[in-house]
Amino acid sequence: MALRLLSRRTLGSRILSYRASLHSHATSFGFQQVKEEEKSKLVGNVFTNVASSYDIMNDVMSAGLHRLWKERLVGKLSPFAGMKHLDVAGGTGDVAFRIFDAVNSVKRRALRKVDEASLEETQIYVCDINPNMLNVGKQRAADRGLRDNKSLVWVEGDAEALSFDDNSMDGYTIAFGIRNVTHIEKALAEAYRVLKRGGRFLCLELSHVDIPVFKELYDLYSFQVIPNLGELIAGDRDSYQYLVESVRRFPPQERFAKMIGDAGFEKVEYENLVGGVVAIHSAIKL
Amino acid sequence: MYRTAAKRLLGAGFTASRLLRLPKPRPTTIIPYSYCTSSMESPIGNQSVNPNQSDPTAAREEGHRRDESRKPRAEFEEEQARVLAASLRHVPRLGWTEEAMIAGSRDVGVSPSIVGSFSRKEAALVEYFMDECLQLLIDRVDSGLDLQNLIPSERVSKLVRIRLEMQIPYMSKWPQALSIQAHPVNVPTSFKQRAMLVDEIWHTVGDGASDLDWYVKRTVLGGVYSTTEIYMLTDDSPEYRDTWAFLDDRVKDAFDLKKSIQEAKYFAQDIGAGVGKSFQGLMNGVMQTMSTRGGRSSAF
Repeated sequence: MALRLLSRRTLGSRILSYRASLHSHATSFGFQQVKEEEKSKLVGNVFTNVASSYDIMNDVMSAGLHRLWKERLVGKLSPFAGMKHLDVAGGTGDVAFRIFDAVNSVKRRALRKVDEASLEETQIYVCDINPNMLNVGKQRAADRGLRDNKSLVWVEGDAEALSFDDNSMDGYTIAFGIRNVTHIEKALAEAYRVLKRGGRFLCLELSHVDIPVFKELYDLYSFQVIPNLGELIAGDRDSYQYLVESVRRFPPQERFAKMIGDAGFEKVEYENLVGGVVAIHSAIKL
Repeated sequence: MYRTAAKRLLGAGFTASRLLRLPKPRPTTIIPYSYCTSSMESPIGNQSVNPNQSDPTAAREEGHRRDESRKPRAEFEEEQARVLAASLRHVPRLGWTEEAMIAGSRDVGVSPSIVGSFSRKEAALVEYFMDECLQLLIDRVDSGLDLQNLIPSERVSKLVRIRLEMQIPYMSKWPQALSIQAHPVNVPTSFKQRAMLVDEIWHTVGDGASDLDWYVKRTVLGGVYSTTEIYMLTDDSPEYRDTWAFLDDRVKDAFDLKKSIQEAKYFAQDIGAGVGKSFQGLMNGVMQTMSTRGGRSSAF
């Protein structure tokens, strides 16, 4: 009798603590636990600090590989002329520029029969919550001579509460941004909302490595090398410590794929690059 | 191949309705619930995915999304088929290309982004067309095609002609389709589709072959079909008359070849028998001579 009472109590407390962790108003900021309201502010600070050296740090940390990953992402998207595309958390415009080039490249236009009218209609929206990152992006656009190009539209906005209409986008990409969002489910729900029927969701994100020896090497690199690089190049060790911690806290590939499915998407797939260091999740809204 | 094997097993009463839908070759595994699939990019290792059989949070979507083996097709596959079907109308103008598929998707009312999710895009369109043609052929045969009064070679001719006539609307762009099918990535599927087509034709003709003959027959018919298909590409005659004449000649050759091979076999057997007999006679003579001589010498 006493034993049964004891087991019921432990079971009950286990259930309570499980529910508590589901509905808690604390979330993770790297390995710290912080209040939800604070997370977006803290993330905002991180990106305000790193905005100017974001691109250089990306190149150094990934040894230039991030370019290949983004190429792969855009390749998977298969952009077409006249598409309305939304790139969320795409502040400095890496993905957006690649999509723009893919649609407008002369070679592509020569090979395929594209009518000029649909080329005009192409709209690529770059949405970012951090105005500093957007400014860096706008500057890069100006450097490429695209300052006044109507196809690229820079919008300040929150991934969890997009200002776009329902069923208005052909494509939605989020590259290295979704782990910074406080409520991933909300971001996924918003993605589902703004996509048209047949629209595609693509997410490029640092993910989990399972391969035995490689995992240890990767952890070593992440925790020993990257924060030091951050200090050296960007002058900000803490932001990069946050970065590597947030990668570990992000759900693994399978669980994230399930979350995408829960948001209503179909044909959820993921592709691991470099053994799982990066994963591209893709899905369709039907 | 599956249909003919099944028919042999279950007898004439077996009807295969849409069973010949080819599964698209996938290097991934599908989880029934949310259709999570994983595909390998890094050469380091493989990941295997365990299917989620039951999930309590799946209630909302579980209603119409059960085990894939029970439900004939997933929603995205249906949508894909719909888009591809609509795209075929644009092929004569735009070719077997992404543009045709984008136009097709617009016809169906779906965002053209969905084309990006088709594996091996143009090949998907061509393979869909090949599957559809095979299905049409089966339907024509099932709905009472009169083959009774024809000898086997004429039956084969007729079936191949029916199948090739389905390609006439796309003839201007068919070379492109052939080149797409010839890409190394696409060869396994296109080979399989052609093998099934050839098998289907032989089965309809009433083939009772087994063992080596089975392979020989299919290979020969595959050759006849391919050469006629290519001949048709450059045929300008009204209603492709020259192609059908070419086809009839090739089929006759093939059947004659079969007869010739059989005749050659019998001929070789006869020669062998003849040579054997004469050799035996020779040996008997030699033995007799030796034995009498030996006998005579021993009497010395």
